[in-house]
Amino acid sequence: MQLTPRPPMLRAADLTMSYAAGATALAGLTVDVPAGSVGLVGANGAGKTTLFRLMLGLMQPTSGWIEVTGRNVAADPVGIRSRLGYMPEHDCLPLDQTASDVVSTFGELAGLPTRAARQRASDVLDLVGLDEARFRPVGGFSTGMRQRTKLAQALVADPQLVLLDEPTAGLDPVGREEMLELVGRLAGFGISVILATHLLDDVQRVCEHVVMIDAGRLVLAGPIDQLMQTTGVMRVEVGGSADAVARLAGALAERGLSARAADTHNVDIETTARGEDSFDIVRDTVADLGLRLYSLSTRHRSLDDLFLQETRR
Amino acid sequence: MTVLPPTLSGAVYDRGYRPYQGPRGGRREATVALWRLSVRRALGLRRSWRQKVFPWSLLAITTVPAIVNVGIGYAIKDNPFEMSGFEFITYHEYVGVSTALLVFVALTAPDVVCPDRSQRVLPLLFSRPLTGIDYVVAKVGAIAFIVFGFGFVPHVVLFVGQMLVSDGALDYVTDNAEVLWQVPLAVAVLALYYAVVGVALASLTDRRIVGGVAILGVTLVTSAVAAIVAEAAGGDGSPLAILNILSLPLLVRDLIFFGHIDVQSDLSGVAGGGILAVGAYLVVLLSGLAVLIHRYREVDL
Repeated sequence: MQLTPRPPMLRAADLTMSYAAGATALAGLTVDVPAGSVGLVGANGAGKTTLFRLMLGLMQPTSGWIEVTGRNVAADPVGIRSRLGYMPEHDCLPLDQTASDVVSTFGELAGLPTRAARQRASDVLDLVGLDEARFRPVGGFSTGMRQRTKLAQALVADPQLVLLDEPTAGLDPVGREEMLELVGRLAGFGISVILATHLLDDVQRVCEHVVMIDAGRLVLAGPIDQLMQTTGVMRVEVGGSADAVARLAGALAERGLSARAADTHNVDIETTARGEDSFDIVRDTVADLGLRLYSLSTRHRSLDDLFLQETRR
Repeated sequence: MTVLPPTLSGAVYDRGYRPYQGPRGGRREATVALWRLSVRRALGLRRSWRQKVFPWSLLAITTVPAIVNVGIGYAIKDNPFEMSGFEFITYHEYVGVSTALLVFVALTAPDVVCPDRSQRVLPLLFSRPLTGIDYVVAKVGAIAFIVFGFGFVPHVVLFVGQMLVSDGALDYVTDNAEVLWQVPLAVAVLALYYAVVGVALASLTDRRIVGGVAILGVTLVTSAVAAIVAEAAGGDGSPLAILNILSLPLLVRDLIFFGHIDVQSDLSGVAGGGILAVGAYLVVLLSGLAVLIHRYREVDL
């Protein structure tokens, strides 16, 4: 079966946003974000919120253009929001209203007829696990329940794309698991997700793609699986003598491989220069030195490693 | 192990997610929805009984003069003495029974705008197809609509009651035909003014109590200042009477009913008083709208 390629959810070209005070939040950002679940990663002040504001048409970029769900935001900055859901990081719910009223209200504000909004509110509150609490005032909810109510209001109008800003912020481990499980299911419903966070574990858990920005510039973007495979580092655990690690590193250097001791038992070896041959060279070198080979594996970097590596360049 | 027959084994149904394929509105529908929600909030609908007591009590209070007027009219209808045309309160005066409406605005205008800011609901609202102007239209429209309703319904009671207790219903309608446009216009002028001033002042603060006090304070202070100025003028009219911003819609009301400023007004006798009153009314109205548009021009996420 041939899958039809999904159009990009977000396309930006040379997107720059400078504020009147002189600060530049985005500096020539060019990125294509595919449909699906995407992590938007960056430190505080990296430009994540500014990018959300531009996507929602809440302000005009200083230069460049931005397209969301295949539509130019500048052409219809208000109408674009009818197919977007947004979940802010901070508390944003009217505390004296019931969850049902809050969610149906935001359904109506997204353009749904009243009856449809109430029905959809019931459905999405069921989906996020608040079906039994939906007639209780939000003011009495726990942090986890409020987060789920916020997610429900973002989903009520069946958006093409939801923008989630730190959805696991302030949640305990159980609440975090539940929220990530919910977010992970959205792509299966045909709803694309852009998850802005600084918790890279969350992105690694639920996203297929990642976009890393720093100081308003694109640092890295791509499928997470691919990015994790391109570490180019092999880790070898050896034993057999007290100076096994040092001897191996020295011998590998003589055979053209860059190696360094990671700790008292492990050597990290750059494999990019020699490719697949590196494994044979390491195996033969260990045998020639009479060392014990405990493990040999390609080292998978975490997103944290990638982010640190790319932002320190 | 007991094996249940297939029909009794039960099943877990994953209701899953159902996409929405029905109609979707845009800005207009979102604005109407926000207006409707604000009206509902101000009237205490879908809220606790405590939130309902005030607005509905107010409607009852504003209707009392009409009921009293009609009741007296009915009681003296067959009086042998000539008392036809008795009026406990005139339509013109009834539009001026505005203190209760002002108190209503002071309590409800902050209630429909302050929580949006203090509870940071604004970013969510503006993530929907709404602009700052739509927000202002919906909020001012909601308060103006209720004030209009609470100002107009008692007039309807008065008009229908007077008509029924009069000797000839048709004659009463014919004799009072002009109030059929004067009253709604004058009440609309009052309602729009109170709504804009009330919501604009409330928009300047996050706290409801501060908003309410600001509305009452500004109107009371300007009334007091205007009264002092009028006293200093020695009973003659003074153009500074327009400092009383509470009186401006009532001055416009005078123009609607009489074509000139009422002789009992502090502005009476001032050359060009009518134009001055309309100008001051518009200045306050437009200033309030400017404040509102500025306050909701841009919202931080």
